[in-house]
Amino acid sequence: MAARLPLLARRLHKWLALVVGLQALIWTLSGMYMVAVHIDYIHGDHLVRAPDERPFDTTGLLAPTAVTTGLESVQSVRLTRLLDTPAYVVETELGPQLFDAEAGKKLTIDEPIVRELARRRMAQDRDIVKIELIEKSPLEVQGRKPPLWRVDFEGWDKPAFYYSPVTGELLSRRHEAWRVFDFMWMLHIMDYDDRQNMNNWLLRPMTWLVALMAFTGAWLLWWSFPKSKRKKASA
Amino acid sequence: MRPIRISTLLFRRIHKWVGLILGLQFLLWTVSGAVMALIDHHDVSGEHLGHPPQVAPWPEQALSPSDLSARLGTEIVGFTFRPMLGQHVYEVATPNGIRVLDENGRPFVVDAAVAKAIASADYAGKAAVARVSLLSKPILETRDHDEPLWRVDFADNGDTSFYVSQATGKVVERRDDSYRLWDFFWMLHNMDYVERKSFNHPLIIMVAFGVLWLSGTGFYLLFKSFKRSDFRWIPGVLPRSPSDRLPAE
Repeated sequence: MAARLPLLARRLHKWLALVVGLQALIWTLSGMYMVAVHIDYIHGDHLVRAPDERPFDTTGLLAPTAVTTGLESVQSVRLTRLLDTPAYVVETELGPQLFDAEAGKKLTIDEPIVRELARRRMAQDRDIVKIELIEKSPLEVQGRKPPLWRVDFEGWDKPAFYYSPVTGELLSRRHEAWRVFDFMWMLHIMDYDDRQNMNNWLLRPMTWLVALMAFTGAWLLWWSFPKSKRKKASA
Repeated sequence: MRPIRISTLLFRRIHKWVGLILGLQFLLWTVSGAVMALIDHHDVSGEHLGHPPQVAPWPEQALSPSDLSARLGTEIVGFTFRPMLGQHVYEVATPNGIRVLDENGRPFVVDAAVAKAIASADYAGKAAVARVSLLSKPILETRDHDEPLWRVDFADNGDTSFYVSQATGKVVERRDDSYRLWDFFWMLHNMDYVERKSFNHPLIIMVAFGVLWLSGTGFYLLFKSFKRSDFRWIPGVLPRSPSDRLPAE
């Protein structure tokens, strides 16, 4: 019986590898990309300037309650800036709204404003190639509710900034390395639809099978080195 | 020394030597990955432990930015007027950091009792608060927050801990044992044994590169390790040699 153990280990190893070997290769390749390309670069930190944090000239700015009269279920108000205009973002149960903090008027975000926002925020010397109000969120911003302003920049890595058409805030920034990362992440967690669920019923059995394959591989190592050498090493 | 020949034997040698050196980490990756896939990610995030954001009746009047600036004696770079324990507070960003004022413009101080009240109001469970303590430095489970935090522990089965910012009164983390278990395996996976934060450090990059050789040679060897006869159990797969062909149909 003892003599058959290596054969058993070898058979288990190769048959398990037949089932999960391709996925194991995919796991190591996608893992390699994710560890080798720094996450700050993936997040596009190099593409954006820090947000504008100059102190406000507060003379003439309204109290936050001055812009909320008539609004239902207000939750909070935040003082910010739309380009150079002091503005209040009012959060309500139905979503946010933006008001001029001096005049109290509601503000809208049109194409020229988005263009200027994006031009100021882009940290590199890149021209805008396209600005579009999109009605359906693509997969790369699937967490964001449309509509969104999408600003595309020139360059091999096709950067895109996504702005809220209500508040003018930069919601997401994407570029080619992010998109590749997201694809690798999809391969890694085996959720080919949403790329979000890492508890799916394809991943769960596959991970245990590959663990078993790794274990039988470790077991096989016992017989994989000539005996004389093993004795020498242990002596 | 004989020249190295690219042969199946070479691939087998690479496979077993890389396996000997890095196989343990490959095994740890598979096991930690398998465990992380098992633990429900919603439990790990801690989102179910807290309530949706609290609301308070919206006031008729509020302080203007000039009032806030005068009371704090400093310029302001922004503020949020938001609900807090049944009233609203001004969380003001100044060039020297965050300051918080209550609805009447007095400093809003988050002491142990206030931190306990904030955490209890946010907590979705029914257990009582077991203890409240102040953390001046981040611990593993609050590693993304540098500011001083109140730790509020609840006496429930999951050993739930909420972390409340001393400066702002915000609940910044909600942790329990599902998170702690998951985080241990996440550490095994990302190989950042001290901070558990980075998966872009030289150690993991080197090991990942080595393990690529393990999986690459292993995948190649798959094509060399099976004989046609291994698949005889599949209907329709016939052995090649006529002598051991199945009886005539």
